[in-house]
Amino acid sequence: MILYTLRRLAAVIGVLTAVAAVTFTIFYVLPSDPAAAACGKACSAERLAAIRAHMGLDQPLWRQFWEFVSGIFTGRTTGSGQYAMRCGFPCLGYSYENSEAVWDLLTDRLPVSASLAIGAAALWLALGLSAGTVAALRKGTLTDRVLMVGAVGAASLPVYFTSMMLIYGVIRVAGLLPYPQYVPFGDDPVGWASNLLLPWLALAVLYAAMYARQSRSSMIETMAEPYIRTARAKGLPRRTVVVKHGLRAGMTPVLTLFGMDLGGLLAGAVITESIFGLPGVGRLFYGALSTGDQPVILGVTLLAAAFIVVANLAVDLLYAVVDPRVRL
Amino acid sequence: MNKRTRTALAAALVTTLALGAAGCFGGTRSTDGKGRGTNPALANQGAAIGGTPTKGGTLTVLSNQDFTHLDPARNWVMGDMDFGTRLLYRTLVTYRAEPGAGGGELTPDLAADLGTSSNGARTWTFRLKKGLKYEDGSPVTAHDIKYNVERSFSPDLPGGPDYAARYLAGAEGYQGPATGKHLDSVKVPDDHTIVFELRKPFAEFPYATVLPTFAPVPKARDKGPRYDNRPFSSGPYRIERYARDKQLVLVRNPHWDPGSDTVRKAYPDRIVVTMGLKGNQIDDRLIASSGADSSAVPWGKLRPESASKVLTRPDVRARLLAESTNCTEMVQMHTGRAPFDHVKVRQAVQYALDREAVLTASGGPALGDPATALMPGSLFGGRQPDTLKIPLAGDVAKARQLLKEAGRPDGFATSITVSSGDKGVGEAIQQSLGRAGIKVTIETVDPSAFYDTIGDTENRTDLVYTGWCPDYPSGSTFLPFVFDGRYIKEKGNSGNHSLFRDRVTMKRMDEIAAMTDARQAAKAWQDLDGRILAEAPTAPAVIERMPLLLGTNIAGAFGHTSFGGQIDYATVGLKDPAKSGR
Amino acid sequence: MAATTSPAVPAGRGPWQLARAELRRRTSVKLSLAVVALFVFMAAAAPLLSSLSGWGPDEFDKSAVDPYLGGQPIGPLGGVSAEHWLGVEPVTGRDLFARVVHGAQVSLLIAFAATAIVVVTGVAAGTAAGYFGGGTDAVLSRLMDLTMSFPSLIFMIAMMSVARDVNRIVLMTAVIGLFGWPGIARVVRGQTLSLKHREYVDAARVGGAGPWRILTRDILPGVAGPVIAYTTLIVPGMIATEAALSYLGVGVRPPTASWGQMIAESVSFYDTDPMYFIVPSTCLFLTVLAFTLLGDALRDILDPRSARA
Repeated sequence: MILYTLRRLAAVIGVLTAVAAVTFTIFYVLPSDPAAAACGKACSAERLAAIRAHMGLDQPLWRQFWEFVSGIFTGRTTGSGQYAMRCGFPCLGYSYENSEAVWDLLTDRLPVSASLAIGAAALWLALGLSAGTVAALRKGTLTDRVLMVGAVGAASLPVYFTSMMLIYGVIRVAGLLPYPQYVPFGDDPVGWASNLLLPWLALAVLYAAMYARQSRSSMIETMAEPYIRTARAKGLPRRTVVVKHGLRAGMTPVLTLFGMDLGGLLAGAVITESIFGLPGVGRLFYGALSTGDQPVILGVTLLAAAFIVVANLAVDLLYAVVDPRVRL
Repeated sequence: MNKRTRTALAAALVTTLALGAAGCFGGTRSTDGKGRGTNPALANQGAAIGGTPTKGGTLTVLSNQDFTHLDPARNWVMGDMDFGTRLLYRTLVTYRAEPGAGGGELTPDLAADLGTSSNGARTWTFRLKKGLKYEDGSPVTAHDIKYNVERSFSPDLPGGPDYAARYLAGAEGYQGPATGKHLDSVKVPDDHTIVFELRKPFAEFPYATVLPTFAPVPKARDKGPRYDNRPFSSGPYRIERYARDKQLVLVRNPHWDPGSDTVRKAYPDRIVVTMGLKGNQIDDRLIASSGADSSAVPWGKLRPESASKVLTRPDVRARLLAESTNCTEMVQMHTGRAPFDHVKVRQAVQYALDREAVLTASGGPALGDPATALMPGSLFGGRQPDTLKIPLAGDVAKARQLLKEAGRPDGFATSITVSSGDKGVGEAIQQSLGRAGIKVTIETVDPSAFYDTIGDTENRTDLVYTGWCPDYPSGSTFLPFVFDGRYIKEKGNSGNHSLFRDRVTMKRMDEIAAMTDARQAAKAWQDLDGRILAEAPTAPAVIERMPLLLGTNIAGAFGHTSFGGQIDYATVGLKDPAKSGR
Repeated sequence: MAATTSPAVPAGRGPWQLARAELRRRTSVKLSLAVVALFVFMAAAAPLLSSLSGWGPDEFDKSAVDPYLGGQPIGPLGGVSAEHWLGVEPVTGRDLFARVVHGAQVSLLIAFAATAIVVVTGVAAGTAAGYFGGGTDAVLSRLMDLTMSFPSLIFMIAMMSVARDVNRIVLMTAVIGLFGWPGIARVVRGQTLSLKHREYVDAARVGGAGPWRILTRDILPGVAGPVIAYTTLIVPGMIATEAALSYLGVGVRPPTASWGQMIAESVSFYDTDPMYFIVPSTCLFLTVLAFTLLGDALRDILDPRSARA
């Protein structure tokens, strides 16, 4: 198990390097020149050259990439004298736009995205799994049908549509909540939750529907397995069978899905964050893209990839814990 | 908008044409749309909304974005300059805080006067007021102004006005104070006197000292690029907290002396800028104006989709500012390249262009005016003349006729670059030129990359849609920068996007620039405007306004003519501070 | 919908016929097929339909909007009239019906083309990995893992915003396709592994058939069922991705209409001109719904044991 984990961790680093290299290459061919963008209007040729050198853009691509990768571990110093900025491990460079360390920007925005993703995940797991399980146990009944038709419908709703309807209904018409504006949990937990409630709902509606469908089919399959029949035959109460045996095995496929979805959402809820004006990682990325802020783009991409691979790893490890049939 | 106005200002300050002894112009008359009379958005034109504010309370600014730069060496965007110089730092000279034409007039700020020139306007001397202090109580000295001027040369601190680099003597190759070198052409004989030695005569220099470049930065506080996140205050407010792209909180600077400041009123106790909100949600909040939102102002323009919610309700409409941005937006044609090297083809574009559709796409006639000349109305004494008399919706038959005369009866295909915010305008242009057989492909470019893209004269599209704003009421800050062929650069070209190179025009510009009588010069610029228009290097489209909807508790707010119609942050405040909460 | 076992099927019919009979029995399948057919027809006949309505998708109608109110459509329900069947777009006055049918063309084209790329690549990679095993399997599987580790939406946005001077529709199709194939490849790989050592495959091999022949004659038909079901299920995802990219402003070039682009532009008008927002949203919703229902049914019938991959 330890060896397996180590091997997987090595693979994680390989994947992240590949992601960094690809991102780097993509943005190297970006038509806009970050130095020219920073220089502003009426920028003279020599000033442009000085800025480009200052940003390290006059170096060949492989050199820039090497500086970036090695800089993550050893840190980098930019500027000199009074202007020197030293960024230590893990150094992802400085934003061209606002001179903040990319790592600081990411850690600053992550709580917002994490609040969004984790809150939504809790909601959709609760909704989705219970709906799925209930439907599975009442397979073929009216309850099942209603739940599943609702789930298919909800899963087909575009997230922007759900969001706008929530904003319109809850905020504009009913006036129940203020317009969403992120409040840190530490400042005001109630404000935090009430401001995030709508984004949570918007995301949860979509995912809960998918999870209900997934968990239903997976539960049905599990409940048909011989060992469940055996348990039932032994005379165990139905509740015990469902909770102790059925759910445990039935939820493993859901777990895979959950790992990937949560990993993807932590840095990838671009649309939801943009609709609700949440200053999360997704919006950071979107903003950086429109200003050509390459260090930030690279930082977010790496972070997002890291979440995905780590989530996958975590899921695989959890499998061993949850499902007795899996051996690593 | 920001970047566009930035260009304009840049150009305005690059008045390299020797203006000689041309005097500074006095007032402007703003384009107030009078004579149309029906525009529901212009009720508040030339006046401050809400009466005189009461001291205290929290003013909230709702913004869809972060400031580009608040570091005074790098701040070169209209609204940001308004915010920075009105609240956080003072400059040698500044604009008066008055609605309408008065906003174009200068008044001393850190300096005791508007500067004295000698040596044929090559040497400018400013004396500082005594007793000026920073937020920590330490004195503001002339050395700090010199230091910030030097900072603006640093490649670590790009983005700011390059005015100093273009005018100061001996500035070539200078790389800022971080290298340990200093500029000899900026002299500080004592703590309260600063002298600038220029390369060439520049009579309008005091207008340049309005720029944030001429704000003080003490050397001990300079942290290079990170200064942007925490500028040190010499103005009425200091930064309490600044989380980039999220929130900026300003509180009073106790060491600012209102007695030394004739411009800034500093009514609110706190100013909170909340960033990254959705534009239409900001509009909805301000329309409802409930709770703390009643003490809020918007940073960006009212969204077009919100116009119907505002203009149809008299009570809401009464809270709308819509000062002109004074920028003429134009379809600029690459005159150096076929088919636009043919004047008839260019005229065909002027005739085919449907300005009504472009205007609708830019917010409609309530929030803008169609352009009939190149320079905005303020440079024509209030209203643009209409020398070509083209119908607003265009004249397709005439356009086709012109194309035929140019030997292109079947039209041709071309492309246009627009900033991504102007996509709708691009579609209106595409549709209207299509009527005359000119097939246009639209390239949308992010605002950040827009000027790079169109500044590359080799690879850019035939057409670009961009504007120009005069910095102060003088034709010298408009026509030479948009139509003087000597300013064309192969890369990083700005201003003259039609690449118009006309010997007669250039000669005339030099003649006007040498005129000593300001009135005569103004008339001459107006005549030249019409002559250039007839050569059709561009098709002027619209002059936009800056529609800003205020909360119900806002007082003393007006759109400042010299800051592109943005609210003058020197005078805005609250009617009843108790209502602002917190 | 779990497989409801069909009662007493007449003997002597092939599996495909059985599947068809089962499909025909279901109302949800009939309804979704009708919806899909409707939209496909709309997409295919877009120019014809919009010429019937009398308005092209890019044609401005200034008389249909009020410029003084920010270009609000004149008239009830976003300017619905005999002339404009579904009303008009604010600001430009372009006909919503014409745009929505042309938008169907673009959206469905991108979704189907991207699906085709995904399926072809995925099946090829999956069968190759499963059948040949060894080094091929290792390389392809690593590649699948790597592709799945890429934050796909973020990468798609980045690639779309970087590219200029290219056909946006082709690019978008390619970019969406690029990140979609590993899912189906994994399914096919698993299926191939289980088929590889069936007796009839072994028999073919002993009989001297080459790998190409075995793959096309024996393996592919074996994986066809799950692949068809899976394909139907990923179409809605493709449509939604196209919409998402267009929503984020990196989609088709103006004035081309697509559902995503229309929704993106209409979102801010959701309360002042609800019709503008509802029309493309409804189209998107119905199409996604129809394909999901269809895919569910196909999966139940063609691949009863597999859960969603």
